[in-house]
This record gives sequence, C-alpha cells and structure tokens, in this order.
Amino acid sequence: MSHGIDESQSTSQTEFGRVKALLERMGETLEDGEVPMQILNDDAVHQLELERIFGQTWVYVGHESEVPEPGDYRQRTIGEDPFIFVRGEDGDFRVLFNSCRHRGANVCRAEKGNTSHFRCPYHGWTYKNTGDLVGVPQKAAGFDHLDAEERGLHEAPHVEEYNGLVFACVAPEVEPLEEFLGGATWFLDMYFDLIDMEVIGDPHRWEVENDWKTPTENFYGDNYHIPMGHKSAIDAGVGSDTATGEKESNLYGIADCDGHGFSFYQIESEEDSYWGHPPEVVETFNHDALDDDQHEVARKSGVTLGTIFPNLSFIFLGGRDDPEKDSVGTFLLRKWEPRGAGKMEVVNWILAPKDASDEYKERVYEVGMSNFSPSGNFEVDDVGIWYGIDEAAGSVFARQNDDVNTLFTMGRGENPAATVYDEWVGPGTAYLEGGMTDENQLDFYRTWHEAMTSDGGM
Amino acid sequence: MSESVSNPTLRAECEEFLYHAAELLDDRKLTEWHDLVTEDIDYRVPIRTTRERSNTTEFSDTSFHMKEDWGTLEVRTERMQSDFAWSEDPPSRTRRHVSNVRIVDDDGEEVTLKNNLLIFRQQGDETDPDILSMERHDTLRRTDEGFKIAERRVLLDHTIIPTNTLSIIL
Repeated sequence: MSHGIDESQSTSQTEFGRVKALLERMGETLEDGEVPMQILNDDAVHQLELERIFGQTWVYVGHESEVPEPGDYRQRTIGEDPFIFVRGEDGDFRVLFNSCRHRGANVCRAEKGNTSHFRCPYHGWTYKNTGDLVGVPQKAAGFDHLDAEERGLHEAPHVEEYNGLVFACVAPEVEPLEEFLGGATWFLDMYFDLIDMEVIGDPHRWEVENDWKTPTENFYGDNYHIPMGHKSAIDAGVGSDTATGEKESNLYGIADCDGHGFSFYQIESEEDSYWGHPPEVVETFNHDALDDDQHEVARKSGVTLGTIFPNLSFIFLGGRDDPEKDSVGTFLLRKWEPRGAGKMEVVNWILAPKDASDEYKERVYEVGMSNFSPSGNFEVDDVGIWYGIDEAAGSVFARQNDDVNTLFTMGRGENPAATVYDEWVGPGTAYLEGGMTDENQLDFYRTWHEAMTSDGGM
Repeated sequence: MSESVSNPTLRAECEEFLYHAAELLDDRKLTEWHDLVTEDIDYRVPIRTTRERSNTTEFSDTSFHMKEDWGTLEVRTERMQSDFAWSEDPPSRTRRHVSNVRIVDDDGEEVTLKNNLLIFRQQGDETDPDILSMERHDTLRRTDEGFKIAERRVLLDHTIIPTNTLSIIL
C-alpha cells in the first residue's frame, strides 16, 4: 500500500495540490454527469478518502446478532483501521481500537470469539472487554505513577445502533446516526423493523482488484447493467424471480434521499410478495411496525437494493439457486472496504428472519450464497464486468486528459424512459423505469465530493 | 483402519481418478466433470476464520463459500460455459496440483480420503498468479461407471479469499 501524500513534505504539497485541482474539476462537471475516472485508482485520493470520509462519517461495523452475548467480539475495520466490535460485560456495544496503549501491538488476534479480557502478548497489559485497563505486570515496581483509568483502550467516540445495525464514527463530532441516515430509515425499517433479522454464521471475505466506489455506485442503483452483465445467471434460471421474468415488476429508482440510494422492484399484484418469503414466514413479521404506505411497498417487493453512504450496500431478493427449487427471500448485507487505491475487500453477510424455521434459514443462506458471494452466480459476473477499471483509472492517460470521465447522464434526453413518479409515498424522488436514470447513482458522487471537499483548510 | 487402507493399488486408483477430475476442470470440460459426481453429492467449502489456538475448529458449520448439491452444481457448470459468463471470458488459466493423497477408509462401497490441492490461476495479462491452497476430504463411491464423488469438504488455507471470484470449481 502506498501513502503518496505522506512521503515527504514537498511530495505531500504537490499531491495535495493535484487532488485539490482534481476535486475542483469534478465539482465543475459533476452536475453534467461527468466524474473523473482517476478517482477510482489514485493513491492521494485514496488517502484523503480514509481521512475525510472513513475518518469523519458513520461507518457500519456489524449487526447485533453477530455478538449476542456479553464478551462476544468480532474484528472489524473502519476504512483500513483495526477495531474490535464487542459487546461488553455490561451488555453495551463498543468499538475498541485494536492497539495496546503501551506499545501499540494488537490486543486481539482472533477474528471472533468470546472473552472477558483482551491481553497484549508483548508485556501483558490486560483490558476488560469494556476496554478498561485492569492489568499492568509489575505495576508497583515500574508504573506506580500510571493512572489506569486514563489508559483504557481507545474507542470510537460514537457508537449507535439502528434496528440492530451498529455504526461507529471515529471523528470527535458527528450528527446523531438517525439524522445521518435521514430518509434511509424509511427503507431500513422495512427490512429490520418489519423483520427481526439475524446474521447467519460468518461473513464471506474476499479481495477484489477494484476500487470500493465501483460496487458502491453500482448498488446506489445501476439496474441498467443487469440484462447484459448477468445474462449467464438469468439464462440459467437462477436469481430473482423479477430478473428471470418469472414475475413482472415495476422498477423505482430512489434519488435525493439524504445521500443514500435505493431501488425497488415492485410486483403489482394482489398476491403478497414480501421478497419471496412464504406465508408462514411472513406471519412472523412485525406488521404493525410499518405505516400503511411502507407496508404496501414491502408487500409488493420482489427485489430491493441500495447503499447507505459511504460503503454499506444490501440486496433483498426473492429468488432461487436452482430452477427446480422453490424461491425464498434472502438478504445480503455487504461492505466494500478500501484496501489501497483501486483495491477492496468485500465483506458479505447473509441474513434471515430470526423466527423462521431452521430449514428455511438454511435455504435462505444457500440461495444468498449461490447468487451473491465470492462464488455467487451473479456476483462473479459483477466482478467480471469491472475488470480493467482500475488499470484505466490509474493510467497516465486518465491524469493527462480532462475528459477521461465516467458518465452519469442516462435519462437526461428529451424523451427519457425514466420519469419522476409523483405518487411516490416515501422519502426522496422516485423514478419509474428506475433502471434508465443515473440520478440515484450520481447522488453517491455528490455526497462523496461534498465529504472530500468539506475541509477548506486543505 | 481396514486392511485396504495401506493398499498402494487403491491409492493409485484414487489418485488416477483425482488427476482425471482435475484435468477435466483445467481443460474446462465442466459437463464431463459434473458427470463424475453422484446425484446425492454433498459438496461444501466452509468459511474459515482466524481463531485462537485453543479453539477446536476454524471452519464454520453454518456458512460456506459453496454448499452444493447435484442440481446447483449443474447450474454452476452450465452457467460457467455460457457465452455471457464474463468472469470466465476470457477464461482463467488454471492448473490444479493434486498431492498428498491419504486413504482414510474403505468400506467396500466408498473410499474416504484426504488430498491437498494447489490451484494456480491467471487471467489476461496478469503476471502474478492467484494461488489457492486447500485440503480436500473426499468420499469416492464405486459405481458401474467407476469412481464418483459422493462428498467433498474443501478446507481452504484462506480466511480472505485472495482472488477476484470463485468462478472455478475447487
């Protein structure tokens, strides 16, 4: 990994100047739907993202069901920084910096587990699962001056939970989580308030040679790529019933939703859909949790997907892994983790309704994995169609030419297929024929650009 | 252990089968490979996590990179041969190195064994290959058409999969 802007003061100044100019140029072309391609593979841009986006905003760390008992923990990253997502002995969630206050070594080396204490292997400093420092070997002999209360593990100053989704922010100041989520709560309620969800097992983790922004912009609502990009899976009769044509649907793309983006495939029928969940599972839902408008959208949902800024995406789909088998509703939550410019780690969790039968949850897992995972029949072709973006974005040619941009102008002609749907009942602006607009995806780059230019002191 | 376990002829037969199955995958003869699995095949690639030494297993019993039966393997092998399977067009160049074959048991109908597998994978102009390393626990069933794979557990040496896609069979 390279940290271009830190290499020396002079390099740092030059690189800052270059990125500043790049962001200024982006500001001029963004509303015309043009985004400089080089932001998808640029060391200095990457470094600035870690500071201005992942170091400033709310970032998802995990679901409450991943740490059900006091002492349960999972290692997680915020940007590229190492944290421990832990439920303390007091039952509270914390996001502790995985680094001993003494000399910096990891105090937690396992990816997950249950523990009352984290002990640094270097000199044996020991912390409770709440982060409190409780053990310093030979303290009286060498550290009688040390105030243990001041030397607990560092932790993310802000940790909040919304319907079981736990987010953290490492900046000193940030707006409350619900304010940050804004209109996104209307959608999140439809999944996590209507349904008591739980994560099944451990997430998939894999490395991909693409920038984290490529799948993020895609999950803001690139429904345009599906017929071409996923033809092999659709032809095989797997995936969602709306993609295979098993069920007809209307697609709504949601833009202008407080920086987040969503898409809805609605099956206009008297027959309940609820993402393909069968009646005995739908019975377990908390139907009173939603207002009538939300509930009707949920009832008609075939597939819904979206992204919470900056890098948490999801897809909820009714579908199958084998044309011979029944479809089920499967929910995939994914985090696109930056890992150097032009590279990412994908973390993919599969969730099922907690109160469904074990057999059903197993099918939910199988269908989710079979479609979206490192081996997923849909996912592999997503990655397969992005080959080379990193190379083009990192090229000298892209740096030297102001018109090497990615294009988000779909639906801006005189007779666009995508039109604003006036009767939309939720937050944001809904576009019917939502696969034929880029306005939802452009929202990602608007939010990204605002965050990247928010500090005038650059 | 039954007497046959130390039988070098049996091990050679099993090796021959595993080499043949690996060759079919390397040569992208996926339908022919699929003919080598039984209709009741149970094929699993569990997710591995980094755990403390004191923990009994690093492999999940609820979450998987692949968890397949005959039908889903048919879907996968057919899809991979589609003209629109972008992850494999141009196709990966793979070379499967099968080694350390150890017979565990033979009850006359089925042979259980362990083997190591190293897959070299490259695509396009890449010069750094993706290397996937794993141990496989296989159950081979004797049929009229010779051995078939009735069960496979792929125990990866990876927690984070170090390749863009698992659009290949392990």
